[in-house]
Amino acid sequence: MTKEPSDRRQEEQFEQAAMPYLDALYNTAYRMTRNAQDAEDLVQETYLKAYRSYDRFEAGTNLKAWLFKILKNSFINEYRRRQHIPPQSDFSEIEDSFESQVSDEVTRHMPNPEQDLLEDVLDEDVQRAIDGLPVDYRMVVVLADLEGFSYKEISDILEIPVGTVMSRLYRGRRLLERTMLEYAREHGYLRQGEPAKMRSRAAAGDGDEAGPSGEGPAREFRRGGKR
Amino acid sequence: MDCKKAKQTVFLFTDDEMEEAALLLLRRHLDACPECARHAEYVRRLILLVRQRCCRQAAPPALRVRILARVRSVRFEE
Repeated sequence: MTKEPSDRRQEEQFEQAAMPYLDALYNTAYRMTRNAQDAEDLVQETYLKAYRSYDRFEAGTNLKAWLFKILKNSFINEYRRRQHIPPQSDFSEIEDSFESQVSDEVTRHMPNPEQDLLEDVLDEDVQRAIDGLPVDYRMVVVLADLEGFSYKEISDILEIPVGTVMSRLYRGRRLLERTMLEYAREHGYLRQGEPAKMRSRAAAGDGDEAGPSGEGPAREFRRGGKR
Repeated sequence: MDCKKAKQTVFLFTDDEMEEAALLLLRRHLDACPECARHAEYVRRLILLVRQRCCRQAAPPALRVRILARVRSVRFEE
């Protein structure tokens, strides 16, 4: 059985158009599944499904968003079911409208120490905080902040209203902020050499001699993180 | 625009999702209100932190090879 030339052409066209998004899809799959093997399976499945239904893709529309929608559907179908998470998680309960959420922003006090704390957030803190987000918030934050999709695109990919994108993004970022600041506060304590308990934890983790004071080279090392 | 509205929209501003007219009003408010300007700057830094500092995972080269092989075999399966 040999391939028709038209099949070859479709293959080539698909590869040329879709393969440039491999890294972006993989990065998102990795943040969603939080492990390399599942991410690979998810991305491979996404490409196969995309290829099989490529004739239904409307040329000239957003191919990247279309691929991400397939990724999202595969993720939800396979992985959430596998983890025995009910398809309808009880998000609606806590999912207030964007407007009601941001109204608490008004009473929010923004002290300077909080601003300075951002300086203490390390690269791995950001990653840990994202990985710790509930899955629906994580998905929105990853699409917006790591992949740079607009609200409208995210609404198309996740098949939810733009208002829901906004409220999930808002709440997801607030959760991220809280977690990252917690980590930063820990680093801050370590630096000032305050609680002995935390200090010993840091010394064990870093395995360096500069532990107790936490000043100087050790601090520089931590701040540098991995870029 | 008042402080309440400014704080509600600052996150749209950072995401570049504001319409021209609202953007103009917000800018004017931020120029006049140091407290809201500080808040806006904090939100901007927070979002930038997430965008720039979470390291990306690149797809393993073997995955690309496997996907291409599977795509090319699809017609034979059918």
